[in-house]
Amino acid sequence: MDLQDKKMSGLSCNLHDNPDKKERKLALSHKILMSVERPGRYVGGEVNAVMKDPSKVEVRFAFCFPDVYEIGMSHLGIKLLYGAFNQVPYFWCERVFAPWVDMEEQMIQHGIPLYALESGDPVKEFDFIGFTLQYELSYTNVLNMLKLAGIPLRSKDRTDLFNIVVGGGPCACNPEPLADFFDLFFLGDGEEVDIEVMELYRQCKKDGKGKNEFLREAAQIEGVYVPSMYHATYHPDGTVKNYVALHGAPAVVKKRVVKDMDQTYVPESFPVPMIDIVHDRISVEVLRGCIRGCRFCQAGFLYRPFRERSIPVIDQICQASCAATGYDEISLSSLSTSDYSDLNGLLDQLHLWTEKEKVSLSLPSLRVDNFSPELMERVNSVRKSGLTFAPEAGSQRMRDVINKNVTEEQLRHTVDVAFSEGWTRIKLYFMIGLPTETTEDIHAILGLGKMVVDTFYANKVKPKGKNVEVSLSAAAFVPKPFTPFQWFGQDTMDVLNMKQHELKSSNSSRRVSVSYHDAKTSFLEAVFARGDRRLCAVLEKAIELGLHFDGWDDCFKYDKWIEAFHACGLDPAFYANRTRDFNEVFPWDHLDYGIRKEFLAEECRRAYREETTPNCREKCSNCGAACFKGGLCVAKR
Amino acid sequence: MLQNVRVWFRKTGTAKYISHLDLTRCMARALKLSGLPVWYTQGFNPRIYMTFAMPLSLGFSGEQECMDIRLIQEADFEQAVVKLNSCLPEDIRILKIAIPLHKFDAISLAAYQLKLEWEEPQILEAAFDRLLKRDSVIVLKHGKKGDKSFDIKPFFISTIKASVPGALLIDVTLPCSTEGSVNPALLLEALKQYEGFEPYSTITRKSLMTKDFSDIQ
Repeated sequence: MDLQDKKMSGLSCNLHDNPDKKERKLALSHKILMSVERPGRYVGGEVNAVMKDPSKVEVRFAFCFPDVYEIGMSHLGIKLLYGAFNQVPYFWCERVFAPWVDMEEQMIQHGIPLYALESGDPVKEFDFIGFTLQYELSYTNVLNMLKLAGIPLRSKDRTDLFNIVVGGGPCACNPEPLADFFDLFFLGDGEEVDIEVMELYRQCKKDGKGKNEFLREAAQIEGVYVPSMYHATYHPDGTVKNYVALHGAPAVVKKRVVKDMDQTYVPESFPVPMIDIVHDRISVEVLRGCIRGCRFCQAGFLYRPFRERSIPVIDQICQASCAATGYDEISLSSLSTSDYSDLNGLLDQLHLWTEKEKVSLSLPSLRVDNFSPELMERVNSVRKSGLTFAPEAGSQRMRDVINKNVTEEQLRHTVDVAFSEGWTRIKLYFMIGLPTETTEDIHAILGLGKMVVDTFYANKVKPKGKNVEVSLSAAAFVPKPFTPFQWFGQDTMDVLNMKQHELKSSNSSRRVSVSYHDAKTSFLEAVFARGDRRLCAVLEKAIELGLHFDGWDDCFKYDKWIEAFHACGLDPAFYANRTRDFNEVFPWDHLDYGIRKEFLAEECRRAYREETTPNCREKCSNCGAACFKGGLCVAKR
Repeated sequence: MLQNVRVWFRKTGTAKYISHLDLTRCMARALKLSGLPVWYTQGFNPRIYMTFAMPLSLGFSGEQECMDIRLIQEADFEQAVVKLNSCLPEDIRILKIAIPLHKFDAISLAAYQLKLEWEEPQILEAAFDRLLKRDSVIVLKHGKKGDKSFDIKPFFISTIKASVPGALLIDVTLPCSTEGSVNPALLLEALKQYEGFEPYSTITRKSLMTKDFSDIQ
């Protein structure tokens, strides 16, 4: 069946004309909806939203995204799991997003509990309440959503086999700051393990078992971490002494991996928002993992092994997604799509029908070392107005430390090509506060900016009548678990502020602009990224103090956070700024992502020796991910 | 061939809460999905040609809204209605597709129904009558060039009122054209300002009309 047949058969979009369908319940009145910004966030009713009869389903799952609708609906993971869960006839997965502050106020004032978009039913009526944990600064939103739902925050206060609070996503690799609130976490790829746990719940319900029995059985499933079944003890200096597994739980919990990306479940359709969202397009995952091994990048290690989808499978997913949604843009997404081994072959295949169907393709990010005008002509990842690259550090020495294997010459070449092709605005992303960084490294960021400007002036075929604009954006480095820099103490805020000031004040070019983020949010992110269970009390206090949406500048209240830490007798600097000893036991050491701790330590030593490590395609660095027996780790070389 | 056709639709329920721009995006996706032989604009970024009669304010229901598209091939209009409806959100419904009789610039009026909820609607009705007995009813009208004082009395004289249990229904026909429109919500503003009533209200645009009060076709 080709795309046109699918369209005409109406297979994909017949969910709505059911004559027996009753008027869908709206949880909110017209009056409330008209009193808030962007009411379309709160009403549901989208094409492809899955409606089921609650009396005919056995397990109801509230998939909660701890941010606003426009952010959550842009996320690929929610679409995958929503489709996977709803494919099972007796499961019904619905979506829940965090109400923005204006709506939260209305809901509290009118006594309306947090509800799910599809049915309009309160979240507290659901069997599972699942959160995707994408970002440490969304933790207050997670707890605030439980509070708005009227569900007890702490796991121990929810005694029945009901309202099971679960979480997954990258931050689940160190979920300890949330350990007291969650019943279980999913580690690694969620497509299979989540459903296994829902099946187990269904069986336990049938057998009349209680919550504790369910959790004990769940802990035996690979990829499931039940925090209440691990007892943490600490040394007098506050560092972790050990974790002891209780009730037969495994001493170490290994993440789940889907070995073959061609065999994973991919939904044929997903809800298409009526309002404009951040990424309003189809997103198709072309590969999982990353070959690069940049030492600051947590995702690069968490998602190993590197696994590609085959061209025919990607092609089929793209066609089905277009036929189900009506979108005219597909983003070929991954951590680094230009590392797909046959990107040109993939584009050739897709171009067989996308041009005719007036569908455009885009790449989410570009690498400095494989930008070409030919590639740009084939995808529309960029408007002519601006191009963005991430050299991450200014000096070659610094880039060697972080294993970002791009050179100044590659960047010069790339921007030169871009200028010849008509671009005049270049944005470069950097980090400051990296290990071993000196003032010279800071100045080298400006040096790169100046090099780009000089390249523009030296270019003989640059666009006429336009001047070059270079913006340098510097984020503060946040050390994360499961990276070679997990031992590194983050620069203090004073040092980060000083470096930001140095960067801004040393800029002498009018063609170059410098921007950076408030170091306070990076500090808080660092605290929770490598935090332990004692931080649960701080989060609970933060909720009492009314903190939420910490990732949004207008909601972030640093002074209140410091008040919360003081109230709990904890020093945030202990978590953020302390450089750890190589022998220290980490709060996430009992979670196994396949990457050996000794490998990360060796990478850390190499970083301090300014030695780079080849990418996975060039040479296996024996990180440990081969234990999953998938992808590039087992491919013939 | 290039055929101009008019698509009539209803925008109610959850779809009330999406803006005009969001509506155009929804329609574009549905048209693409439907496989109808629609004409694309011929610019650098081709897009489906759609032109809407008069944008509907966020929060209003619309019973008889319309947009024009162009077809490059014959199509069965009845089948196209069914097909398009299967591709749209549940609260945007295509009513019919037809060859247009009027041009959009013939639109000069719109019929609205306001439903004002009040436990004893006759009290609200009395307030409404008092309001219109005044010499003028001045409210602030928000425009592109800032707010200005505006007398709504002449526009609300010939309204039809009906009390139903728990609500007062007001039917009114107001200017609605590219030259200038009067927003029915101004009446609510006046009721609040002059009489201190703030009823829970919903507004529906029933139809678009020519200057001689006949429905646009």
